[in-house]
Amino acid sequence: MTSKTNGSRVIPYNMLAECVSTTYELVQRIVPEPEMNVLRTGLKYLEPTLIDCIQKADEGLPIIGHHFAFPAEYLYAFDCVPICIEATSYLLAALLPDGSEKYYDLITHWGHPYHTCSSQKGVMGMVLDDLFQFDVITTPTAPCDNTYASYPFFEYEGIPLVLTDMPFLKEEKSYEYFAEQIEMGLDEIGKIIGQEPNYEKLKKCLQIENETLKIELELYELRKAVPCPVESMMSPMSAAAQVFMAGRQEKLDFYKEIYEVVKRNYKRKETPLEEERIRSVWPYMVVFFDLALCEWVDRELGMSILLDIFSYNFYNEIDTSSKDKMLYGMAKKAMDFPMIKQSIEFYEDFLSYFVEMTRDYKADCAIFTSHLGCKQFGSIPQILREALRDELGIPMLIVDIDVGDKRFASIKTVKDKIRMFTNTLL
Amino acid sequence: MNLVNDAFLEIANSIENKYIKFWQDSDKKVIGYYCTYIPEELIHAAGILPYRVRATGHDTTELGDILMVRFTCSFVRASLDLALRGGFDFFDGFLICNSCDHSRRMYELFDMKVFNREGFNKKVPRFYISVPHIISEEGFGWFKQEVEELKEELENAYGVKITDSNLKNSISVYNENRKLLREIHKIRILDNPKLTGADALQISVANTSVPKEVANQELKKILTKLKASEGIKNHKKRIMVVGSLIDDLNFINLIENTGGLVVSDFLCFGTRNFVDDVETNGNPLEKITKRTYFRMSCPRMMDDHENRLKFLKKEIDSAKIDGVILQRINNCDLHGCDNMLFEHDLKDLEIPAMNIDREYVQADLNRLQTRIEAFLEMI
Ligand code: SF4
Ligand code: SF4
Repeated sequence: MTSKTNGSRVIPYNMLAECVSTTYELVQRIVPEPEMNVLRTGLKYLEPTLIDCIQKADEGLPIIGHHFAFPAEYLYAFDCVPICIEATSYLLAALLPDGSEKYYDLITHWGHPYHTCSSQKGVMGMVLDDLFQFDVITTPTAPCDNTYASYPFFEYEGIPLVLTDMPFLKEEKSYEYFAEQIEMGLDEIGKIIGQEPNYEKLKKCLQIENETLKIELELYELRKAVPCPVESMMSPMSAAAQVFMAGRQEKLDFYKEIYEVVKRNYKRKETPLEEERIRSVWPYMVVFFDLALCEWVDRELGMSILLDIFSYNFYNEIDTSSKDKMLYGMAKKAMDFPMIKQSIEFYEDFLSYFVEMTRDYKADCAIFTSHLGCKQFGSIPQILREALRDELGIPMLIVDIDVGDKRFASIKTVKDKIRMFTNTLL
Repeated sequence: MNLVNDAFLEIANSIENKYIKFWQDSDKKVIGYYCTYIPEELIHAAGILPYRVRATGHDTTELGDILMVRFTCSFVRASLDLALRGGFDFFDGFLICNSCDHSRRMYELFDMKVFNREGFNKKVPRFYISVPHIISEEGFGWFKQEVEELKEELENAYGVKITDSNLKNSISVYNENRKLLREIHKIRILDNPKLTGADALQISVANTSVPKEVANQELKKILTKLKASEGIKNHKKRIMVVGSLIDDLNFINLIENTGGLVVSDFLCFGTRNFVDDVETNGNPLEKITKRTYFRMSCPRMMDDHENRLKFLKKEIDSAKIDGVILQRINNCDLHGCDNMLFEHDLKDLEIPAMNIDREYVQADLNRLQTRIEAFLEMI
């Protein structure tokens, strides 16, 4: 890790790059191949991505903060450094021993309610600590109250805030409306940073995303195999890849490399687990403050995580043949993005497709991490549990958690609950 | 002047009342709804009584807790609980918008668990409108279409025709209602206020629970009574209450019994409801939509904190406020964060403010009382 943090406008990225690089080095040195392949491959591509961002920030490119619901690749219409507010908080939470806690505490002391989402808290605290020098921040008005409630803080701190209004409910008119909002949003960002949005440049990134999507879809199919040929670590890693490497060659390369290994496992009917004893689906998120949980479920419990909310994507490839088609496809993709889709539609759809997927993936159980921040999901766990039980006879464990802050429910508590639950299944 | 035992104010203490019964006995419908961003005049123009969901007096969330996790708003859990026990069986329709993450999910839960529960056989149509989270011309265009669609849905569901003349009549009834509430507010903020915060809240809550024609008659009577009264003379600390929904007297009483007098507020059952009117010229549906959308916002509108602050400052000035109590129901992210910014804004302006959290079903009265006492002593 070469870049100096002194004078950096993206100090948390320096911290992240440092962590990623040491963790990668450690895995390379002490874990024999092919073990922990997903983590190894993820870190391998994450490192140059972060370093590139740091260098570009050092060169003076504008720093654009964005909500994960505004896909990062759309910002590559500009020469800029996109920083995802939510993913930065959580990747630090995953890689640093005390995660983003210092920053959560800073913003909590400033008055941010304890029950809001830790995904925003981290970077809010970092802004109070002057660790990021954003030129502008953008977010759609989705997926949750935390977004509407927390982002005005950035404006209060003097950072220009560009909002794109994402309507509830996906219908044709919603896509058209949001496409216009994206175009207006990009124009507004352009004015703030003194650049015109470059749709040719954006097109290339969308094409990379289209390529990646094909592989992702194949991977979803392969994950249905018994035994599952994919490590559970794929869930958090694909979330990281989706956000940090969006629109970049590194993302495509990451998926290509993973795909080769998974395909080989599949052909040989092999699983990275010693023995797959339980197949689980996680309707919501995995735990971000301790990535090792995914490795633990594989190794200790013989339980594969077949899917979590970030690993079921329903968006279509974006038609890049004209600017209007691109914008329309971008709107559709953003509204179908994991977690966004489920937050802007009624539960009826979520219940039916999740039950279908659980059947399709031949899962034995579901584990729902009920995240403190996500009030829009606060009334799903019980009705989902009933639906899975009544329609498939499958039990669902509900774990109350803050996915980014171990002080709400520690990893030991989480593991104990999962272990007790799985004991009842075996 | 004391409004204790005023029959109209009593309406605020129960969910149903004789006016609703009378209304339904004459074969007319009631639509229940959550939240402020509902074009009430449109429902009224359909000959239907719009009824804002509340849970006044309901002090348990037990059944609601089974369906909603504990880190959701206890007001919404209490209202769901009440619904599961049949408290809203009198609804003939149910309307929701995407106001906050807690209440908007009632669209699904009422359908699956309340109106579909065993033994309940009434068909209750449900309606949904999607409200933009920012205030812009484009957003208005979107919302206008949503309200037009709602009009059609209401007409189809209840076999009615909503004409421009119906709409104009509703506008005038609702504008008169807001005017009366503003007049009451004017005498609430006098040096010797003519009514307490508890009275004001009861008036406001009762006002949402009866046909507006009835409310207008009653408000006129109350206004006459109040105008003739002496006003409150003992000089207590003048307080403004801001934040999450308050639909019962517990919290206001706590302040007023501790030595404060709530002379103004920034609440959805309060000032926010009556500050703006519908314009009376032009296309009536468009004007109703305009007022609903561009009205004094709540924090669900993401880009309007500045305006809300402007209102607060003006009100603090005209109501001669000594201190502001910023409160939120636990887990209410919208008001929690807006209050966080208000706290800093008010500190910069050197206006005393306290920021507290509470539960809808009030359990920790001692803690709250101690904090409020300390605040009142300090200002
Ligand atoms: S994790 Fe939930 S609460 Fe947090 S930003 Fe995402 S949707 Fe909102
Ligand atoms: S108090 Fe807050 S969380 Fe509760 S219904 Fe109102 S806006 Fe929603």
